[in-house]
Amino acid sequence: MYFLASPILIVEDDPVDLDLTQRAFAMGRLANPIEVARDGEEALDFIPRWEAGEPLPAVILLDLKLPKVSGLEVLHQIKSHPRLSVIPVIILTASSEDRDIQDAYRLGGNSYITKPVDFEKFVEIAAQIEIYWCVLNTPPRQP
Amino acid sequence: MLFVAVVILLSPSAAPAQKSAAPKRILVLHWYGRDWPANSETEQNIQSVFQSAPDGNVESYPEYLQADRFPGDDQAAILCDYLRKKYAQRPIDVLLAIGDTPLQFLLKYRHDLFQNVPIVFIGVKAPTGKELMAGPGATGIVYTFGYKQTLDLALKLHPATEHVFIVSGTLNHDKTYEEMGREKLHGYESRVSITYLTDLSPKELVDRTKSLPERSLILYVWQQVFDEQNKLLETRDVLRLMAASARVPVYGMASWQVGIGVIGGYVRFNTGAIAKVAEIALQIANGEQVRNIPVESAAIAPMFDWHELQRWGISEDLLPRGSIVSAKEPGFWEQYYGRIISALGLLGIQTLFIAALLVERRRRQRAKKALDQLNAVLEQRVEERTAALDAKAKELETFTYSVAHDLKAPLRGIDGYSRLLLEHYLPRLEEEGRHLLFAVRASTERMSQLIDDLLSYSRLERRALACEPLELRPFVEALVEEQRPELEEHQIQLTLQVNGRSVMADAEGLTQAFRNYLDNAIKFSRQTAEPRIEIGAAETEQSCRLWVRDNGIGFDMKYHDRIFEIFHRLHRLEDYPGTGIGLAIVRKAMERMGGRAWAESAVGQGATFYLEIPKAHH
Repeated sequence: MYFLASPILIVEDDPVDLDLTQRAFAMGRLANPIEVARDGEEALDFIPRWEAGEPLPAVILLDLKLPKVSGLEVLHQIKSHPRLSVIPVIILTASSEDRDIQDAYRLGGNSYITKPVDFEKFVEIAAQIEIYWCVLNTPPRQP
Repeated sequence: MLFVAVVILLSPSAAPAQKSAAPKRILVLHWYGRDWPANSETEQNIQSVFQSAPDGNVESYPEYLQADRFPGDDQAAILCDYLRKKYAQRPIDVLLAIGDTPLQFLLKYRHDLFQNVPIVFIGVKAPTGKELMAGPGATGIVYTFGYKQTLDLALKLHPATEHVFIVSGTLNHDKTYEEMGREKLHGYESRVSITYLTDLSPKELVDRTKSLPERSLILYVWQQVFDEQNKLLETRDVLRLMAASARVPVYGMASWQVGIGVIGGYVRFNTGAIAKVAEIALQIANGEQVRNIPVESAAIAPMFDWHELQRWGISEDLLPRGSIVSAKEPGFWEQYYGRIISALGLLGIQTLFIAALLVERRRRQRAKKALDQLNAVLEQRVEERTAALDAKAKELETFTYSVAHDLKAPLRGIDGYSRLLLEHYLPRLEEEGRHLLFAVRASTERMSQLIDDLLSYSRLERRALACEPLELRPFVEALVEEQRPELEEHQIQLTLQVNGRSVMADAEGLTQAFRNYLDNAIKFSRQTAEPRIEIGAAETEQSCRLWVRDNGIGFDMKYHDRIFEIFHRLHRLEDYPGTGIGLAIVRKAMERMGGRAWAESAVGQGATFYLEIPKAHH
């Protein structure tokens, strides 16, 4: 599966969570490149780059609680974008609030996953995300 | 009206001998016949006196001269003969003469008829002294004719009077009353002109009296007369006839005249006088001596007809002191005194009530106004407080939410890194280091559980309630199925008997509640020798009761209420792990859907935890 070079974009402000997420993905068998945005603004900065032709990520892991621009705003920007709305976005957040879940799907989120405290479970989740979104799932073709 | 009679003497010695034992016999001699109205009245009057006599035993023998129907000396003689024969064997004790004619008859014939029998009389003309003293004597009452007094009174009440007409008449035209008047009113001619209308025919009388000059008045004395059809008019009839047409005041001198046409006058009272004379007869019959009882004049008194007074506009104030006013119609006040007082009383009470009610209403209005103001202030305060509370609640909610989530982030770090440490560096750690690492892992797990439970509890508060009909059996079965591995692991025997019960519940809340019960049952019974859990349900009228019974360690009922409080635990953590939130969640979830949660237990006896769920109404 060498051709699967599509990166995974992680939007996460918490360094611990970011580190653990990266480690969790690193422990998986797949090795997609990981890109990181440390807040909502940095995430939005990717949009012009993708518009300019940079390869789109296979999946975006988006935290909701972000400094500057919230995760939901980032989600809205991407999902309302004429070309970029095709990018799968997984909400990966500590919140399990109904309101957040509803909002996320309403704005076009493709999946909603609550970060578990148990790291073992998180490693499993990371592995499954990679398998599902990067292997099983067929992403839209680059237009 | 003269009578002749033959007298037979009775033995005077016989009477005293029988005095005490034999009844007293009183012969009452009336003037006219039995059917003459005045006679029957008089007779009744006399009888009532005789009957009320203290020692009773009086026999009265009424006899009637009937001088009107059988006039003349011959008739008198026949009657005398009759009486003599009739009473030959009936000695009479007293003779009672009613009227002048009977008195004259008795005086004339007593010597022949009832020798030695005293006479008691009542009449107009007083007998002469000689007549009174004759034989066994006579006494009685002489009617008084108040000519003078009545005329004085009439002139006082009608000061402008110039002419006085005095009406009287007898069937034998003896002018008795005219003569009496002339005698008594001697000297009045200088003040007023006095005309005597004596023995006029009814027609003449009416003609005269109805056209009398102004400033006249009539004094009616007594008149009997035959009219044109030769019908006898008694004195009452004559008075009525005349009074009906007279245009001037009419005065009289007898009580019976008051009420049939006269204004009034100083009148004699026939009834009273007759009663008096009957009493005298009784006294004498009982042995009293005639000479001890002097002849008396009957009393006269001022008496008036209220209607006539009204008619002539005479004020009662002008009447002599002690006047009798008959047929007086009570004034409005007298007539309605009671009612007026009652009405006034009621009115007074009503007024008081109304006043009290008005005062009450005013007080109420004031109170209401004050209350309204207070209410407004309170409402405003409540609104403010509610808003403040809402804000606080919101704040608290956000706080709980943030705390829970924010606490989770570092916890993930602790868990993640301790895990990595465990995986990658365990071999390099010494025993003590490993022990510490496991302690960190355990704390992390516990912290995580606490935060999750706290979030559940907090979410329960914030979540909208969604009650819907729910079949208990499949619901319970599904939740039991979740725990199947756990049950099997601890070899817990489970019986489930929840048949066809339908409830009205918030599914998520009920799930949380039941899950907690089942978890607890497993947790507290799994160390028992043969762990058993029994799930059952029963219906009451309004609700359905679902219970989870275990044969675990149980608890002391004194802690019953506390175990349902948040963060309250009965056991050491290492024995029975838990956050102390579970039962608080159960209770809150049940209360929110209108149900209840409670338990029954004893230490070492297992425990039964109940859920009361409202029934579904189809």
